[in-house]
Amino acid sequence: MSSYSNISRRDFLRVLGLSGAAATLAGCGKTSIESGQETVQSFVQPEDFVVPGIGVYYASTCTQCVSRCGVMGRVREGRLLKLEGNPQSVISRGKICALGQATVQAQYNPDRITSPLMRQGGALVPISWEKANQILNDQLGSASRLSGKQIAFLTGEVGGHQSVLLNNFLETFHSNHHVVYDPLSTAVGRSASQVVYGVDQPLLEIDKARMILSFGNDFLGVGPSSVHMAGQYARFRKAPRGVLVQIEPRMTITGANADHWYAIKPGTEGVFALGVAHALVQHSAYSNGVPAEVISALKAYDKETVSAITGVRAETIPHLAGMLWERSPSLVLSGYGAESHANGQQNAASILLLNLILGNQNKTLTGQAKQPFPQLLPSQGSYKAFANLNNEMSAGNIKALLLFDTNPVFTSPGFMPFAKNLSAVPFKVAFATQLNETSNECDLVLPLLSPLEDFGTHVASYQPQGIELGIQQPLMTQLYPQTRSFGDIMLDLLKLRGVSEYKNFPNYYAYIQTALIKSKPVFKSGLNDQEFWEDALSKGSLRLDVGPSTLSPKPNAVSIAKPKEEAADLILPFHFVPSVRADWRDGTHTNLPWLQESPDTLTTVAWDSWVEIHPSTAEQMQIVEGDVLEIKSSAGSIKAMAYLFPGIHPDTISMPLGQGHTAYGRYADGIGVNPFKIIAPVYDEKTGELAMHATRVSIRKTGERGRLTKDEGATNLQQGRKLVAMVSPDQVNLSKEISHVVK
Amino acid sequence: MIDRSEEKDIVVEHRFIPRDQDIDDEIAWAKINTDVLQSMERPRPLYWVIFFASLLLFSWGVYCEIYQYQNGLGVADLNNPQVWGLYIATFIFWIGMSHSGTLLSAILLIMHADWRKPIFRFAEAMTTFSLMTAGLFVLVHLGRVWQFYYVVAYPNERWVWPNFNSPLVWDATAIGTYLTSSVVFLYFGMIPDLAICRDAASGFRKKFYWLLSLGWQGTDRQWANFRVAYLTIACFLIPLAVSVHSIVATDFAVSQQPGWHVTSFPPYFVAGALYSGCAAIITLFIILRYVFRFEAYMTMPILDKTCRLTFAIAMVWTYLNLIEYASVWYGNDMYAKQALIYRATGSYAPFWWAMNILGSIVPFALAFKSLRANLKIMMVVSLLLNLGMWLERFMIVTPTFAHGYYPWTWTNDWWPSWVQWGIVIGSFGWFTMLFMLFCKLFPTVSMYEVKEMVFHRKSSRQAKK
Amino acid sequence: MSLSNLLNNWAALRETRPYEDQYKNSDYKWGMVVDLDACTGCNACTTACYAENNLPVVGKETFAKGQVMHWLRIERYWGDGEQLPEFPEQGAQFLPMMCQQCEAAPCEVVCPVGATHHTPDGLNSQVYNRCIGSRYCSANCPYKVRYFNWANYPEKAWPNPLEMQLNPDVTVRTKGVMEKCTFCVQRLTEAKNVARTQGRKVADGEVTTACAQACPASAISFGNLADPTSEVAKIWKQQQVKLAKDHQDKEEGARGYRIFEELRTYPSVLYLERVRDNEV
Repeated sequence: MSSYSNISRRDFLRVLGLSGAAATLAGCGKTSIESGQETVQSFVQPEDFVVPGIGVYYASTCTQCVSRCGVMGRVREGRLLKLEGNPQSVISRGKICALGQATVQAQYNPDRITSPLMRQGGALVPISWEKANQILNDQLGSASRLSGKQIAFLTGEVGGHQSVLLNNFLETFHSNHHVVYDPLSTAVGRSASQVVYGVDQPLLEIDKARMILSFGNDFLGVGPSSVHMAGQYARFRKAPRGVLVQIEPRMTITGANADHWYAIKPGTEGVFALGVAHALVQHSAYSNGVPAEVISALKAYDKETVSAITGVRAETIPHLAGMLWERSPSLVLSGYGAESHANGQQNAASILLLNLILGNQNKTLTGQAKQPFPQLLPSQGSYKAFANLNNEMSAGNIKALLLFDTNPVFTSPGFMPFAKNLSAVPFKVAFATQLNETSNECDLVLPLLSPLEDFGTHVASYQPQGIELGIQQPLMTQLYPQTRSFGDIMLDLLKLRGVSEYKNFPNYYAYIQTALIKSKPVFKSGLNDQEFWEDALSKGSLRLDVGPSTLSPKPNAVSIAKPKEEAADLILPFHFVPSVRADWRDGTHTNLPWLQESPDTLTTVAWDSWVEIHPSTAEQMQIVEGDVLEIKSSAGSIKAMAYLFPGIHPDTISMPLGQGHTAYGRYADGIGVNPFKIIAPVYDEKTGELAMHATRVSIRKTGERGRLTKDEGATNLQQGRKLVAMVSPDQVNLSKEISHVVK
Repeated sequence: MIDRSEEKDIVVEHRFIPRDQDIDDEIAWAKINTDVLQSMERPRPLYWVIFFASLLLFSWGVYCEIYQYQNGLGVADLNNPQVWGLYIATFIFWIGMSHSGTLLSAILLIMHADWRKPIFRFAEAMTTFSLMTAGLFVLVHLGRVWQFYYVVAYPNERWVWPNFNSPLVWDATAIGTYLTSSVVFLYFGMIPDLAICRDAASGFRKKFYWLLSLGWQGTDRQWANFRVAYLTIACFLIPLAVSVHSIVATDFAVSQQPGWHVTSFPPYFVAGALYSGCAAIITLFIILRYVFRFEAYMTMPILDKTCRLTFAIAMVWTYLNLIEYASVWYGNDMYAKQALIYRATGSYAPFWWAMNILGSIVPFALAFKSLRANLKIMMVVSLLLNLGMWLERFMIVTPTFAHGYYPWTWTNDWWPSWVQWGIVIGSFGWFTMLFMLFCKLFPTVSMYEVKEMVFHRKSSRQAKK
Repeated sequence: MSLSNLLNNWAALRETRPYEDQYKNSDYKWGMVVDLDACTGCNACTTACYAENNLPVVGKETFAKGQVMHWLRIERYWGDGEQLPEFPEQGAQFLPMMCQQCEAAPCEVVCPVGATHHTPDGLNSQVYNRCIGSRYCSANCPYKVRYFNWANYPEKAWPNPLEMQLNPDVTVRTKGVMEKCTFCVQRLTEAKNVARTQGRKVADGEVTTACAQACPASAISFGNLADPTSEVAKIWKQQQVKLAKDHQDKEEGARGYRIFEELRTYPSVLYLERVRDNEV
């Protein structure tokens, strides 16, 4: 079956009997080879419905970022070739991003671990699973005396039944020491959202807005659900057309697609927002939305004051306010950049307040559908918890540390210092598909199935429509016999700890199957158990079609302080804004060659790190492209080549996160530098989260000059040729157009 | 061969080196024979220096090519959009150089300019070897060299023909025809001389020349047939030569890339070809005159005439060059104009200016009689003129890629790698090596034609008395 | 050798193309529409192309030399003039550029061995095993969308087990041959075969290219221009762009155009202008 957009249910594979072990023939008995009659082996032993030469599509859920898109894999002769979006997934709608595509390279990466590893004499040596299990039994078995804080499980934002097992495992030690570290945590934004709207992640109805004012929100790039939001954005641009205004210190992909982009001094987004708020409440169109105290507090944010603090021209403020009232409903978004400062939560709350003034709640801003499975939601990262763990480790209080889906040696800020404290932990075990800087320091490394070989369940924390419980299932037999499913290992650990309720589950597949069939009533399905299960597998998800919930915002909860300007730092005069690429994120994915070769969207640089610096600043400092600069903060220094970039505030420089690996495989090692290491210890006042954009740096020319590897040539202008023609909306008739954007 | 073992160093008799005549018409025919045959025996030591130096360069070129063949063309630092580089530029340069022989042998033959007689032989040899060198570049620059024969219409079971719409197929046809005809022409014209060599040789060499001279006895009937045949080939060769470089020019003219889509390219290229051919003739003239002691034959008055011819051609080339600039400058094609401005002001501007100065200003040295009489200056000038012509070909190929229609692929600092330079230098080594081999094996001065020249001048001088 | 083959098809070889309604009676003429207003520059399409068409990852040094192999590239411009603005107030302009499958392709004429020509269903084909690597096609391409195999990439690009990802429907190219976007011809061939065995034509939406399938903003549409009911044919018609004309007479308000149309290449890719509000 080879159609691409009209996949019908009957054409999906039912993954029957495919457990963590190798898939065998379905009811064929011994082959003539096995019975000794023939010596020529047929190349492939397909399932009954497979015609060799025609690809078959299997559904799964992508695990590479928080979006949890539904995907499907094209499999030929038992071999997974490529991923596509699953048209039956509401989140992805049949579309897929670059990172999703590159997951096949994680599956087939030549640097994958293929057997358990044990630390012996300073290096990691391969061992058998018997030995590994024995070590686990010795350290964490029923005889273990560990309890409470002494044992910790450090992970990324893991969710689904994986986190259920993980937490149950910790409970057997009377511990709830599950620490989630997300180096790109959105905790500040969520906290602000909770304050203003009463929910931590409202639904953004991008396609319903007539104007979006985004303070550095990169919804087209990093998320929270970029594939889905790109589709919404495409509809947003069709008639009746919406406009996008982006205000940020450094241009993101979303900013690159704005109708108007403004450069703003980092950390002052909240001040600007309140300036706009002041103009909004002064406007004749304002009726009510915020209490009187707020309005009087806003008086201090007149446009001249705001312009002086933020660096944005004063006329912009009344202009934007007028437009926001004119183009209703609007949508105001706060972004990671605004939130990553000492006053981050304050910035975000100020920005979100604008929606209340404009009355956008329950128009373009709604609540997500009620979540029937809160325990399956991914645990949210907390820097405070991570910092606590770091302190406990250095104090010697952590006796056993388990690590999954995280690389803190790489992503932690240099001042911690995490790697040093890690060495104080006597027993460290990592679950990984490939060695990285952290698992390289562990005592035991357990090789995992790749995300495309494993079972799992996932509920994205951002559910754009209804509830979608994504099912991850193997798209092919595992490549390496010694790799195991994370779920299977956790089940074994639980059985090791003597937890009786898991006795009856031979493997994780069985566990998930039972758990999901039990949830049938929630999904209001009339099918019998077996049909229900097979239908879920063939769709790759379980769906609940419920509408959004209503938001009840709390305008009183926003406190507005007097505007104040940040003092200039003479020693470290520049703001350092690390940028996040949607396909690299925190550096977990720079081991994939397609993503290294893929030129950065805004700079077109590949296979390297770079320092973005505004051309006027560069001219003043006599810096040209390729000059190796030393970027020094209070926490450390790194060196990279300069790239002249007009989309950045002149007092700001930016470097991409994700490069600078030293032990992450041949495609990542030795490439670029790691900006995490120079992040300064500045924290958001309200939440304690690390303020990633609050670092101040100095720039020094080292005198060396290199050549950036990039895709653009001698010019990045159109030179008077009609290549990307731009036209204003009054010159086109969008309502007459035929649109095929997926609804 | 003539026994020279008892002689001391060969001394050139100065009384036979004329100052105001093209050749001294008192030279005995026997002396012509001995001088030329002796040149094949004992050239000056400089000959060996040149030969081994060129062999060295050629070996370096071979090494570079092997490296490239095994590793792919990427080692030449070619990329998108710079897909052609020095290989095509030098290919055109060598094709251009090949026009010298045809010019001297064929065109001047028909014009009855008999001062060409002592020098046309080596000019024709130059043509042949230039074409062979150019053919090398066709192979070297291909991605899949081992399948070069797809360009030829050979019988194959897939019923596939080459693409006759493509200028490269026209090139293959034209160059193939030209090479064959030039070899035939060169060989044919040598037959009477090879007979002389055969008569004077012994041992293995005698057999070699006996085979090649096809039983020439110098009978009247043979001479009559010879004259007719020779003239016919010459007449055939002239339009062929013009067409070859015109066709090579269509490689560019037929394309719509800015800087290439110029209708004056075919005559421009032919003029450039004649120009570099003539300049090369001057260079080789000076070298051979010294190395083989041909002062009595390759005389200063002949050099003078060659230089004046070169000057004339230089002016034709200059005119066509300036006309191309003018038509672009005053024209309406924005892209072509930008391409021209880029040539004059972009990364390759120094080469463009050098080309224009070397091609249009330096030839004025050829306008002064005193300078024409100075061998050292003429040697330098001729080399500079050829450098200018090589730069011209480079400036045609590379800047159009660097600054074409599509700005995303503009480059401003593309340079060839050592592999490209190595192969280019190797080609000069190959050419020089072959040429020197030719000079050692075959008479570089056409003995029978020089005898005719002496005879006609003597009889006309005597008739005047 | 087939002299009769040559003589019989001489008329087709020398025919001037394109002409109006050339594909009116054809089953297929593949075309594309790229909406530059929707394109966000995310590079999902380029990665999908790498996955589908066995494009080699060439690595840093080779990339730095300009020898990268992306058949589809996302270009990012700052403005349409010749001066870099102080701040890009209207954002960046992204252009996905791939082989335009020109109806009067400058590359087809000049290949010495005939390794590139026009197929009956309107694609510009590249025959790898005929190509001898003269690169004249790339020299003549105004868009510079042809990519040459400068080295034997299969040696290094797919260390075991990465080669298992390779698409068996697409040749893995050796050094010395030219390649370019094929509109995923392997998918088209398979779809046509399936349709033919069922006695029908390929329906609109039944087959699409890897880039169009991946694009999260649905910026790329692909289909059969010879089928007037197909989406791309409708868009071309609504934008008043005719395949065989080099200069379109359009009303105001239609934002479809083709790049370098004045060079008379007659591309099969229609771009829709990026709409940006100046007022804002």
